[in-house]
Amino acid sequence: MFDVLHQLALGFHHLLSVENAAALVVGLIVGMLVAVLPGLTLVMGVVLALPFTYGMDVTPLIVLLTAMYLSGTYGGAFTSILFRIPGEPLDVPLLWDGYTMARNGRPAQALGWTLLAALWGGLITAVSAVALAVPFAKFALRFDAPEYFAIVLFGLTGAVALGSGSVTNALVSLCIGLLLATVGVDPTYGADRFSFGVPMLTDGVEYLTVMVGAYGLGEVLARMGQGFATTPVDGGGKIETSLPRWRETWRFKATVARSSVIGVLCGIVPGAGATVGSFIAYGVEVQHGKRRAQMGSGIPEGIIAPQIASTATVGGHMVPLLALGIPGSGATAVILGAFLLHGVQPGPQILQNEAGMVYTIFASMFAAVIGMCLLGYFAIKPLVRVLRLPEAVTSAFVALFCFVGAYSARNSVTDLWMIVIFGVVGYLFEKYRFPIAPMVLGCILGPVAETSFMTSMIAYQNDWTIFFTRPISGTVMVLILLALAVPCVSRLRANHRARRATAVEAGGG
Amino acid sequence: MVTDKLKAVVPYATLLAGAAFLYHETGRFAYAAKPGELGPGVWPKAILLLLIAVCVYEIVRRTLFVRRAPKCVAATETLAADAADPAPEAPPADAARHPYRLLAGITLTVLYVLVLDTLGFFLATALYLALFMVVGRYRRAGVIAATSVVGSLAFVFVFMKVVYVSLPLGTGPFQAVSVWILGLLGIR
Repeated sequence: MFDVLHQLALGFHHLLSVENAAALVVGLIVGMLVAVLPGLTLVMGVVLALPFTYGMDVTPLIVLLTAMYLSGTYGGAFTSILFRIPGEPLDVPLLWDGYTMARNGRPAQALGWTLLAALWGGLITAVSAVALAVPFAKFALRFDAPEYFAIVLFGLTGAVALGSGSVTNALVSLCIGLLLATVGVDPTYGADRFSFGVPMLTDGVEYLTVMVGAYGLGEVLARMGQGFATTPVDGGGKIETSLPRWRETWRFKATVARSSVIGVLCGIVPGAGATVGSFIAYGVEVQHGKRRAQMGSGIPEGIIAPQIASTATVGGHMVPLLALGIPGSGATAVILGAFLLHGVQPGPQILQNEAGMVYTIFASMFAAVIGMCLLGYFAIKPLVRVLRLPEAVTSAFVALFCFVGAYSARNSVTDLWMIVIFGVVGYLFEKYRFPIAPMVLGCILGPVAETSFMTSMIAYQNDWTIFFTRPISGTVMVLILLALAVPCVSRLRANHRARRATAVEAGGG
Repeated sequence: MVTDKLKAVVPYATLLAGAAFLYHETGRFAYAAKPGELGPGVWPKAILLLLIAVCVYEIVRRTLFVRRAPKCVAATETLAADAADPAPEAPPADAARHPYRLLAGITLTVLYVLVLDTLGFFLATALYLALFMVVGRYRRAGVIAATSVVGSLAFVFVFMKVVYVSLPLGTGPFQAVSVWILGLLGIR
């Protein structure tokens, strides 16, 4: 306990260096801007920031990306509440009570509740990250190859089972990502796989080009196909934040507690993430809140619950990323990519070997929460002005960022072709409603999964039952089966209910 | 009705054909085989079998069992599924309301990569940005010219002077233009 606090204090000390502090401030501002702009998603923003970081040390780099991630969960609230434009899918629940409260003539109060919720969610997420990292890492030290394989598979399955939309489409996306990771020279036998004699493929497919192409250029192409239909908004009106009183805040302690737990849990479970957390927290308030009948009419609970939950997921995501090396969301997949680009492999050893870096990241989360709230209170007005920019102009620059980002990694035009290919793939994914995150996760975690699988097979004489007979890996495999079964059962039940409702309607009509 | 079903299964049928071809390819990986070894094909084979199974399932389901887009059949059965991603059977229609514009955008992007080494980063980028905005239905010529030139200059300055990335200079007369621009920005 004291050791953790001591390390955290050292982390705050390291954070005071010019490089780390500058990374924090830039990350907060860019994260806010990205979240405010409807054409840019949070993950896209984190991806596009990567090319500027190749020359940076790993600590300020992760501080920058984490600050972007945290402030990105808050920035979109402004456009949702004031202009009915959700910057991110996670901001959609804020439309129901946040925008309604604003429309009822209390926009400053709505922004005040959002700020308070983001502050609380952020502090909870930072505390939970610090508290959970060491137990997670200690537990992970007991892992052998079968356990690693099971855990990686759990991370991948979570992305499939708990993401929004079709499970089968997510599985297809994951398979494509895992296959992309097999292109090139096989790490165990040295065999050339799926390169078909094309030199561009012999070196393998860089996950960076998959991420940047599919998330960045793919989204730009999809928006171009829609004719850049988003109308520029005049964000220059009166924007003020009015903080609630302590007595008012205390009334919502149950909502705060529920949403905090939901947020942290959704962060830890791979694949759930901020959007799912935000919607679940709102849904729980609708079902169990004291004023559930008034939800949607512009009450503070409808703002507090989704905002706390979405911000609280960040720390939950950072724990498995740092302690196990497993990202649970698109943004943490990019952060893992940033670690790997700098030759740092997150995992249980990182807390022993790179404790200074890890606790600086944790300290930066506390500072980022305070910083984003100050930014939200004092500087949101100029930030919201970016909504005036025409979508065609911002999209042109986003496309350019994608190209320069990919080119900067290896100074290779080949990577630009990869960006174009995965841009088109990303567009087709959008068009046919295949989620992109499982493909990216598969591409990043594929080599880890294959290596741990092959190592297990070699060590245990090709006995695949080893994954089920060892206590930890066996338990995780059961969790994987449950994670896949639950959505399928839910779907069957939903279909059954829909059929019954249709039958009743037909009978009644 | 038949056309809709056909449209719905085309992506899965394409993936199925691709997966079957790649599965065939896994048997042709060259390596020094030893008895008792699984070989380099086992991992991709497992993934491809899963992909094939999923595609077959979706093709059968969409052909035989899906009559029309249900109101809400979400995996997590949460509100999130509604907002973040519409029902999986919903037609993939609105992704390209402007197919020619999209095609122009893709062509422009391919051309940008093709001419980058010849024209150099500054010229190719300024042209790309300007044409991209035009294709994207933005019509204010002054803003287009200013943002594309200033934006390209800013990218050259940041990446070559600050981040130290060696961007393509182009060939022949275009290289001379790039070198002149670099001199203008104080980059050696």
